[in-house]
Amino acid sequence: MKPLIEMMNVSKDFLQGDNVITALKPTNFKAYAGELIGIIGPSGSGKSTFLTILGGLQKPTTGRVLLNGEPFSELTNDQKSKIRLDQIGFILQASNLIPFLTVKEQMVLYNKITKTKVDQEWMHELFEKLGVDKVKDKYPSALSGGERQRAAIAKALYHQPNVIFADEPTASLDTTKAFEVIKLLKRETKVLKKATIMVTHDERLLEYCDKVYVIVDGALTLREDNA
Amino acid sequence: MFLALKELKYTKGKFALIISVIVLISYLVYFLTSLAFGLASSYTNAVNKWQSDRVIMTTDANDALMMSFMGSDQFNEINVDGTKARMGLFPGVINNPMSDVGVDTRVNVYFFGIDNDSFLKPSEASDLTIQGYDVVVDESLKKEGYEVGSMIAVSGTDTQYKIIGFSSQSTYQTAPVIYMAMDTWQQYRYSTTTPPNLFSGVVVRGNIDSLPSDLTSYTIDTYINTLPGYTAQVLTFGTMIIFLIIIVAFVLGIFIYVLTIQKTSMFGVMKAQGISNLYIGNSVVSQTFLLVFFGIVVGLILTITTGIFLGDIIPFAINILLYGIITAAFFLFGLFGALFSVRAVLKIDPLKAIGG
Repeated sequence: MKPLIEMMNVSKDFLQGDNVITALKPTNFKAYAGELIGIIGPSGSGKSTFLTILGGLQKPTTGRVLLNGEPFSELTNDQKSKIRLDQIGFILQASNLIPFLTVKEQMVLYNKITKTKVDQEWMHELFEKLGVDKVKDKYPSALSGGERQRAAIAKALYHQPNVIFADEPTASLDTTKAFEVIKLLKRETKVLKKATIMVTHDERLLEYCDKVYVIVDGALTLREDNA
Repeated sequence: MFLALKELKYTKGKFALIISVIVLISYLVYFLTSLAFGLASSYTNAVNKWQSDRVIMTTDANDALMMSFMGSDQFNEINVDGTKARMGLFPGVINNPMSDVGVDTRVNVYFFGIDNDSFLKPSEASDLTIQGYDVVVDESLKKEGYEVGSMIAVSGTDTQYKIIGFSSQSTYQTAPVIYMAMDTWQQYRYSTTTPPNLFSGVVVRGNIDSLPSDLTSYTIDTYINTLPGYTAQVLTFGTMIIFLIIIVAFVLGIFIYVLTIQKTSMFGVMKAQGISNLYIGNSVVSQTFLLVFFGIVVGLILTITTGIFLGDIIPFAINILLYGIITAAFFLFGLFGALFSVRAVLKIDPLKAIGG
């Protein structure tokens, strides 16, 4: 089976004054369809660098990123932008919802941008599954924290991306809600055969992950006890 | 457009504020334009009514047609490829001889001395013969209660004229024009029943082939610019209007810029999701256009309403061309203002949205 997203020998250095800082040491990483992968590490350890290089928001210093087996990190910003729009879903800590769009309109925005037709059936199915059907005409500010995060997941899944990046998807949620959200994410990753890569501080979530990687000082290692 | 409209709908209050500023300024600009155009027209209506190409007067008159004295010899020496017409110009004050004693009916007017068969005769009077004490007057005098058959008196004299017809759009330097026969005009001008055969100038349709050396010819445009106060007034209004439009650009530009900066993190998230600069920039620009559009539509409605109610009292005239130019300027300068924000959008780093 081909990995959905793959890092080959990727490293990232940047200059701070005259010193070269290594944010990410040469790293190999693969994520396959149906996998929920957790990334943990102390702050400043390179988690964000890892995720942003994987998402094509930063260029690696060495190595390359392949998406669906196709070269990704070498593309121009515009090309990467286009691919992100179609292939990658984001669930962000700060919420990826736009404040002045209702939950439903958040989905429709994708169709407006890509000039495609709204997939009503799929949207309805997604809303039912994620339990946001009742609030689909509400603005994000009128949603509870859990609803907001579930809506964000709906948005990340709506355009049927292959890879989902989740950055602290359960921050600001209480335990019950956090478990609800992670279970949903896990289920949809399996059912829809996505690769979900989740950065988190929350150790409680790791038992749901298929694999857990630890980043310390820019070095990514697989935590074996989870495998 | 989708994003722009949705945001407008969501943050109505904020946008209503900025739209109201645009409404007020555009109202002011359109209103001033109509006023400026109306005033300028009332200066020049009678001149434009000639539909002619050139005005000739003596060089000694120093641009003031009223101060020009021309005789028949000079008139005959003017060779034109077209037609030429004698013209007398002198101001005066008239009143209504039939009004009650003590009622002030004085009106400032201009007396135009013309030949009955010349093209200077207003088209509305083409079936009438202007001769003797029969005159044709601007229709604005109807508001003073005059009608066909009414008498008008020249203030301070016993002279009275009879109105035999009205002509439209016949104002000169904002005052109504009274068209009369050349010999009658000469009697008025020189206050005698045996006046010299002198007139003020010559109006030409067509080109001038040769001209006596003591005469000067003006194109209609240069002639209009020599009218006292005309250029100053047009420049004053013009400057005000241009500055107001620039102010709109700034107000709008600053407002949109602040809004854009407030949304930096949201735009960052959108960019991270793969939404292109083009789409976001487009949304900022269309939002600006929507604000300008709503603002000027209301501004226009207010202007036209004001025009309907005050049109009789003030020199208010709508000129579609000027309105078009001003509307285009609003959009153009609005776009200018929005471009700063588009630049800010381009500079937003999606990396920050991920917390990098």
